Amino acid sequence: MNRRRFLQLMAGAPVAAALGTVNVAGADTLRYGMLADSIRCIGCKRCMSACKRWNNLRVERDELITDRDTHLSANNWKIINLRADAKNRAKRGYVQWSCQHCIEPACAGVCPVTAIKKLANGPVVIDEKKCIGCRYCFQACPWKVPQFDFEKRVTRKCHLCYNRTLLNYQKPACVAACPVGALAFDYRHEIILEAHRRVERLKRPSYIMGLAEAGGTDLITILPAEPKDLGLIAAPKKVVNHNLDKIRVTASGILAASVIAGAMYVYAQVTRDRDEEIDDQKAE
Amino acid sequence: MIKKQSKHIQALLDTVERSPRLVVWISVFCAMIFLAGYAILASLLTSMEILEFSVKIPWATMIATYIFLVAIGSGLCIINALGSVFGMQRYEMMTRRMAFLSLTTILFGMLCIVLHLGHPERMPIYNAISPNFRSAISWMGMLYSIYMGVVVVELWLLNREDLARRAENSEGLVKKILTLLTLEKLRGTRIGAVLEDSRLPRVVALLAFVSGASALSMLGSVFAHSESRLLWYGPYYPVYFLVSAIFSGYAFLIVVTIVTYRVKNNEIFRGLKAVIFEMAQVLALILAVGFLLIIIRLATGLLDPTSRGPVMLLINGPFSIGFWGFEVGLMSVLPIYVFIWAAEKKSLNGVLTGSIMVLVGTFVMRYQFIVAGQVYPNIPHGLPSYWPTLMEVFVIGGVIAAFLLVYTLGDMFLSLKEEKSPHVT
Repeated sequence: MNRRRFLQLMAGAPVAAALGTVNVAGADTLRYGMLADSIRCIGCKRCMSACKRWNNLRVERDELITDRDTHLSANNWKIINLRADAKNRAKRGYVQWSCQHCIEPACAGVCPVTAIKKLANGPVVIDEKKCIGCRYCFQACPWKVPQFDFEKRVTRKCHLCYNRTLLNYQKPACVAACPVGALAFDYRHEIILEAHRRVERLKRPSYIMGLAEAGGTDLITILPAEPKDLGLIAAPKKVVNHNLDKIRVTASGILAASVIAGAMYVYAQVTRDRDEEIDDQKAE
Repeated sequence: MIKKQSKHIQALLDTVERSPRLVVWISVFCAMIFLAGYAILASLLTSMEILEFSVKIPWATMIATYIFLVAIGSGLCIINALGSVFGMQRYEMMTRRMAFLSLTTILFGMLCIVLHLGHPERMPIYNAISPNFRSAISWMGMLYSIYMGVVVVELWLLNREDLARRAENSEGLVKKILTLLTLEKLRGTRIGAVLEDSRLPRVVALLAFVSGASALSMLGSVFAHSESRLLWYGPYYPVYFLVSAIFSGYAFLIVVTIVTYRVKNNEIFRGLKAVIFEMAQVLALILAVGFLLIIIRLATGLLDPTSRGPVMLLINGPFSIGFWGFEVGLMSVLPIYVFIWAAEKKSLNGVLTGSIMVLVGTFVMRYQFIVAGQVYPNIPHGLPSYWPTLMEVFVIGGVIAAFLLVYTLGDMFLSLKEEKSPHVT
């Protein structure tokens, strides 16, 4: 590290600490990731079932039948749907959809009571005992994942089984249940390598989602086509500095408020003589 | 055995006897509050789902009502600053009504959001213990709490002399409470000297203006920070919230003042009339600025390919009637003409009609902004549809009824009437 770099870091440290964006050195190698291979998936929905069993979620009637369309809900943290490319119907696969565990989660940035945290080893977790149920995380999420539970009155979503992986060094329930290895769990850099290996082996154009979307996610999905052609939400592929962006947006309001205050001052000064007129009228 | 009724109950009974309309007025509100209570109780006993069934549009009419009320309150705070901060005496005579209305609209707006939350009881605790300084909602909550505290102090300062006068004329427990409220015992002490300082009301009003305006722009930021909601995202809404709050605040103040005077059969004195006509002219100007901002929003939205989709929903989609009919027609273009005409012809009815148009248009605009903002982007399978449920309407009706009830009582028991303000030094 040269002197200039050191000074830059020192200057940026207090601001970064205040905004909560300190990147731990080597965090990428410590972080877990999950692979969802929609080309290998057979749509058996055992992962959904295992997720419900581990997390004690309610099972709705008929939702675990293969090929039945399912939606994310407070009791459905992971869904498997058959999706086909709009341009070429032959290109299709069982797409699994759940929390993408963004590297810079927008939901954690907007939660007013810091109930959402990105754990150092990967999972984005909602503390259900702290959640006030405002649903701001749903609005901010680029994937529209966190779902409000109308009975528990909190927002719930996949937490990458942090309570299994952390405590017992086990795989998440869904990964352990997959009979064909369409789901895999490892360190993120290993998962990315595995995704590239699988795509190479396929020898047909496919798409790896999660490398750059929403600034990168810990869930890597292999898709048969681009997300928007499959009818999935396509998060923008850009790295947004949420904190700087928020400051920029907020500053516009403060600037406008100052302009309005200035206009009010001018209005008060210009029409000062009217006060006297009205006082005279009142006296009459 | 008939107990001897206290003087106050007697006074209340006299008022009721004098105006049976008031009894009907209050009973209607009580019925509406009862229905809202029923809806809230049902949601607590069964599931919150009965308040709103739309999972994909989680912020709906209740949030729209919240923004509508809170923006009016903040708008009134900004208008109030014309008199109490910038020294315009003709606005200063309305300062009591404005401060009271501002406090109550924000309070009941906040009630809307509290009823919408899953666990409102956790909000004050965790907002104090572990606030997220990166979250606009957290900032908004803090700033509005500060603002409400400041306005309570402002109202107290404005009503202190009046309270002292009432304390002198009453007896028993009421006298004790009123004397306690006036903080009579502090007179002569160092704190008492600060409270009586003639500069204090202006400082408090300045604090109210700063906290109120920043809270409002933070409310705009709550939506503008949502990068994934293309209609909301960007630096536009914090600015538009400020402008729209000012015009809805003006319209609300005009409607409430004229209606209050008419219901009580009081004649509006010439000075107040002149102020109302001046306000109508200013309102026309601000509406024009607002309209210009709408055009800028459309233009920037249409030019940017990523946000063209949500903007087209407004212009030529399911929300086009609300947009062209209410947001452009009823809220912007028509009232500008009505206000210019009414101010010229000195027609109070014209000003009243224009203001009601603005309020109706603003409510629809807030609703459209909230709902249309969440339609795009969404999980495919077509655009999600939303329509308020009956229970949701009950709750909103109850909140508005409670607000009107508190205003009616406030108008009866606090002296909100326009007069020369004690701010003048």
